[in-house]
Amino acid sequence: MSSKHSPNIQTFKLFTIFVAICLISFICLITFYLISSVLLPVIISFTLYALFEPATLYLVRHNFNHSLSILIVLVILMIASFLAIGFALPALFDQVALLQSKLPQIASQLENFLTQYAAQLSSQFGIDINVSEITVSLLSQSSSVGQSALINVSNRLLNIIVIFILVPFLTYFLLKDFKRVRNNLMNWLPNSSFELGWVIYHNVSTQLNAYTRGVMLQSLIMAIVCAIGFSIIGLDIPVLLGFITGILNLVPYIGPVISIILSLLVGAAMTPFDPSILYLSVLVIIGAQIIDNVIVIPAVIANAVNLHPVQVILGIIIIGSLFGTLGVILAVPAIAVGKIVYNNLYADILNASRKSA
Amino acid sequence: MSNIFWSNIFKSGDSELQTITRLWQQTPLFEGIPQRQTEFLCAKMHLRLFKTDEVIFNLGDQGAGAILVLEGSVRIKASTTELALLELGDFFGEIALAATERRTADAIAVSPTRLVFFLKQDLEEWIEHEPRLGGRFLMNLSATLAQRLYQANELIAQQ
Repeated sequence: MSSKHSPNIQTFKLFTIFVAICLISFICLITFYLISSVLLPVIISFTLYALFEPATLYLVRHNFNHSLSILIVLVILMIASFLAIGFALPALFDQVALLQSKLPQIASQLENFLTQYAAQLSSQFGIDINVSEITVSLLSQSSSVGQSALINVSNRLLNIIVIFILVPFLTYFLLKDFKRVRNNLMNWLPNSSFELGWVIYHNVSTQLNAYTRGVMLQSLIMAIVCAIGFSIIGLDIPVLLGFITGILNLVPYIGPVISIILSLLVGAAMTPFDPSILYLSVLVIIGAQIIDNVIVIPAVIANAVNLHPVQVILGIIIIGSLFGTLGVILAVPAIAVGKIVYNNLYADILNASRKSA
Repeated sequence: MSNIFWSNIFKSGDSELQTITRLWQQTPLFEGIPQRQTEFLCAKMHLRLFKTDEVIFNLGDQGAGAILVLEGSVRIKASTTELALLELGDFFGEIALAATERRTADAIAVSPTRLVFFLKQDLEEWIEHEPRLGGRFLMNLSATLAQRLYQANELIAQQ
């Protein structure tokens, strides 16, 4: 190493790099926060890019032109989406309507259930709970949530249309030019950080690709397993519940708990009321979770993110409170990326300081 | 200045990409890989310029790939011992293509040097395009690493 780099200068350089990284991260966070409304199409496009890049590569390997391969994949994807919307959406809407018609029944079953337990609590421990007050407040809250959801959906109709137009374009250009743009951007790195930058990019992209593909497949499997399970036990709206369970599975730990509560509410609203359906619906979700943990996760997401449950839950709470629903879904990959970047930079700074010592 | 009558007219059309392709093809890593495929891969590689005495990497740094000397020269050293002086067409750092190990020596540019970085990322993306040739490349890479190990063992035995 050149003698002009004294230990003090090295330490100062490292400190400057560290401060610069902190500043860049802070600016990224603020920017993400400010543009979070337009972040959704970008994230969907990147997810589609990760999912469908192997398919375009497959066509390129079989002597198709790159642009043509992308077009073929996107056309197939759009036809599949339209078919899915055409066939599945009416069925889903029917089930939503069914759920809506059952909401008063769910409320009355909940009230009965709470009244029984309140009576027990009152007789055994002397605790008095005003059940009707609780249910009235719950009902008014749920109806206001429902109304605001409807208003939100109508307000966001324009956003949804923009997403439908923007996503195919963005995905096309990502599949076509992402690697070229990435290489040009990475070439801006100074010589001293060039290799480190690529190592970090390699680790992040490998993990994110594995995570995205794995988690999508995992959710699909969960949705199918739960829908079949709910149909077998005779629970109402099995397809909608399976679909929701699949989506909720994107949120680790918390998602399955919400799925159980939802299936319990639907089970409680069934007439005639059968308590065994409640146990069976919980068993279906636990069974699906066992299949998920024993078969799907080891086979599909074996080398994806390796995070401690506490990190995941804290991340979901913090990122979720900053970015809402999108933040809850993106919390796990965001923490995984942060962890990789931190580990690599820390190792590099440690090595550099050891050399300068 | 080259004489247009006596100089090789074919060589004069040799673009930088063709030079890089030719140099990589002369290495054992690209033995048996067709020229068209090597050129396709070389078009994705990264050219970097280093000043005299500039550190290319340090012992213990994380390596992203193999490096070819396109111009100038590079000194490889471990602490104070000079291990090699690499010049046009020589390559080094190929361990990083196979494993996520750290660099095992220091590399410093002796003069203004242009280097071609062949990154693990590029290799993996190429293998997805060309799995059969990728397999051939990986066989070449393991043979090269085995050769390096054999040479290192011989050096240790001599000392």
